[in-house]
Amino acid sequence: MPVPWEALIPFGLLTAMFGTAGTLLNASQRFQNLGKPPRYNLDKWEESMLERDRRLTGHKRGQSIEPVAPEAFSVNTIIRGYRP
Amino acid sequence: MSVHQAGTTSSVERVDLTPMPSEVPQVQELGTTSAPLKSAAFFIGAYCKEYNEDFMLCKNESREPGHCLKEGRRVTRCAQDLITKMRENCLSQFNDHWNCLEKNNQEYYLCRKPERTLNACMFEKLGLTKTIPGGGLQGQQVHEKANPIFKAMQK
Repeated sequence: MPVPWEALIPFGLLTAMFGTAGTLLNASQRFQNLGKPPRYNLDKWEESMLERDRRLTGHKRGQSIEPVAPEAFSVNTIIRGYRP
Repeated sequence: MSVHQAGTTSSVERVDLTPMPSEVPQVQELGTTSAPLKSAAFFIGAYCKEYNEDFMLCKNESREPGHCLKEGRRVTRCAQDLITKMRENCLSQFNDHWNCLEKNNQEYYLCRKPERTLNACMFEKLGLTKTIPGGGLQGQQVHEKANPIFKAMQK
């Protein structure tokens, strides 16, 4: 008896759709995080450290091992004020 | 209500470019970002113990920002000194460890293998050991455990 290949089309579609969605999501997240997996379970400390990394390197996932910070680092803190 | 309503409070972001007053001695800030700093954390604790303790005791006296500037400068300079030494002596192991941390949400327990090589290099070249003060629940040093419970899923 011939194999009912038409019945396998939905499985193929599901695999393709899930696979594409997952791959695109992973690619988008890696692109936003400079090729690294995204950070998760971040508390206030970690978010402050990410902000410090952004001030040091320009991107919140950028890293550097220089012992001395660039000149602009000491004055580029963002101060948030609320105007009622 | 399909028109956007601006709220009653608005937040503004400002950058204050005023430098420190000239009578305060200048110190260059530490330029290491979060992952290398986390990798070097226990070695900074071992190397700069006295300066860190001085700073914490000073802060304990008063939380006013201007009170502990001198101790803070010493802490910064000690950390810079150690980072320079680490870069000279153990650069590749250091880079391996903090790159591993960056790919694993900066969790120590997922990066034990590069950590072991870094600890060995630091002990051999600079004589510094990573010690967790007080140890874990049973008083052990979890990074030296042979078969830990919390580990990476894949070998």
